[in-house]
Amino acid sequence: MSADDWDLRLEAELVRLGLQPARARALRDETVAQTAEAGAPADRLFGPAHLYARHLARELGDLRVAQLERRPARPGRVLLSLRGVGKRYRRRVVFSGVDLTVRGGEVAAVVGANGCGKSTLLRICAGFVRPSTGTVHRTARVGFVPQDGGTVDWLTPAEHFALFGAAAGMGRRRAASTGDHLARRLSWRPEAEPAQHLSGGQRQKLNLVLGELHAPDLLLLDEPYQGFDEGTYLDFWQQVGAWRDAGRAVVVVTHLLHDLQHVDRVLDLGAVGR
Amino acid sequence: MTAGVASAGAVARLSVREVSRRRAVVALVVAQPLCFYLARHDLTGQSVRMLTLGIGWAISTLTLFVVIGARRVDPRLRLTGAPAASLVGGRLLAMSAAGVALALGYWVLVAVDQDVRRLWAVGPTMLVTALVAAPFGSLVAALLPRELEGALGLLTVVAVQMLADPAGPVAKLLPFWSAREIGTYAIDPVGGDYLARGLAHAAVTWTVCLAGTWAVCSWRLRLARYPAPPA
Repeated sequence: MSADDWDLRLEAELVRLGLQPARARALRDETVAQTAEAGAPADRLFGPAHLYARHLARELGDLRVAQLERRPARPGRVLLSLRGVGKRYRRRVVFSGVDLTVRGGEVAAVVGANGCGKSTLLRICAGFVRPSTGTVHRTARVGFVPQDGGTVDWLTPAEHFALFGAAAGMGRRRAASTGDHLARRLSWRPEAEPAQHLSGGQRQKLNLVLGELHAPDLLLLDEPYQGFDEGTYLDFWQQVGAWRDAGRAVVVVTHLLHDLQHVDRVLDLGAVGR
Repeated sequence: MTAGVASAGAVARLSVREVSRRRAVVALVVAQPLCFYLARHDLTGQSVRMLTLGIGWAISTLTLFVVIGARRVDPRLRLTGAPAASLVGGRLLAMSAAGVALALGYWVLVAVDQDVRRLWAVGPTMLVTALVAAPFGSLVAALLPRELEGALGLLTVVAVQMLADPAGPVAKLLPFWSAREIGTYAIDPVGGDYLARGLAHAAVTWTVCLAGTWAVCSWRLRLARYPAPPA
């Protein structure tokens, strides 16, 4: 879209944020009128359309993203418990003595510098990698979303839903409808084109949907928002909030400190022993 | 068990679809045996033998790349609930079906284009080669799980197969010796012992490659079994 489409983008973003279409259109008309009065381009006056839409919605107190601020329901049973977990590759100790407990209805963030073993810890939680020391207790139903990869280049999103649905024992139709429904919650309408033709953000949305397709109790997310735009990033955290409200446990690896406002507990892997 | 079968079916179906979208790959898989065939077209026996070896090479290479390409997604499928056997089995089923289709097509070509002593036996020669090629490519992918290493490993085995004396012990240890034996039965005036030896070799090779693939993939795709948290 060009700068001339600014008002259309504003309206679309307002609708996406949950405003009624008529209300969004009225806001767009008002903004266009203000722009004409000022005699300056809208993007210069108000900034990027999607951010201004967010500002307007916040002002109206009608912002879906406000749900992010909502604190969780009462935490449920323990779904993941790490006690004294460590990992070493030959002589190199990646981390040691990690303790973490995550209950249903909680979101935990794993933070730390590059190379401190955040992804390795998540892979231990998933069971792909065995810990060198310590014990892990974990619920059986787990979803894992990798940082990248994890999809098949030549298959469409619908075929991914069928593949992962079959792995989970779901019928083809149920997997397709569940996948489409979950994708819509991330403001994404999957098209019938192979994954390799999707943008980076769309591919990560596909990864998120695949991680959640079988309704796991525990979701392990390894920086899942690579390539997300601002709106999708907020959709993602809103989705995390919905999982939490539904009583699921979420462990998310992140290096973005402002993500931490959305989580209940933080494990700083850089601060634990080596 | 039912979920495992459904999962294997989905893996097989989608593997075929994945490969069929790669038009250039499909064209090259078809063209490779044809090039081998045309290179020795003047000699009936050699052209059929080269065609058969080309089928084996093409299908094993295709399987190698399909299996290696699936490495990024297989752990997630395991975590979602798919048994390792359904992932291995589904892909082998798909690649074997592709091999059978290729073999049948070239059988028709030979029937039309060549005057072979036992034309019917050319079919089993190609079918057996295609059926051995799929688990062989899968085993190479399991042992050498990177594309370049796998492709070079496969190239080495097939090149040695082409160069080795068929009567010597080295050739008999290689996967496509059966094609040579059954092919000789189809082309030359020899007894049924060639056919029997070839089929027996193919059966052993198929079993070894399948068992090896299953063992390596099961080990590689194993998930840590954690106890549930105490209530």
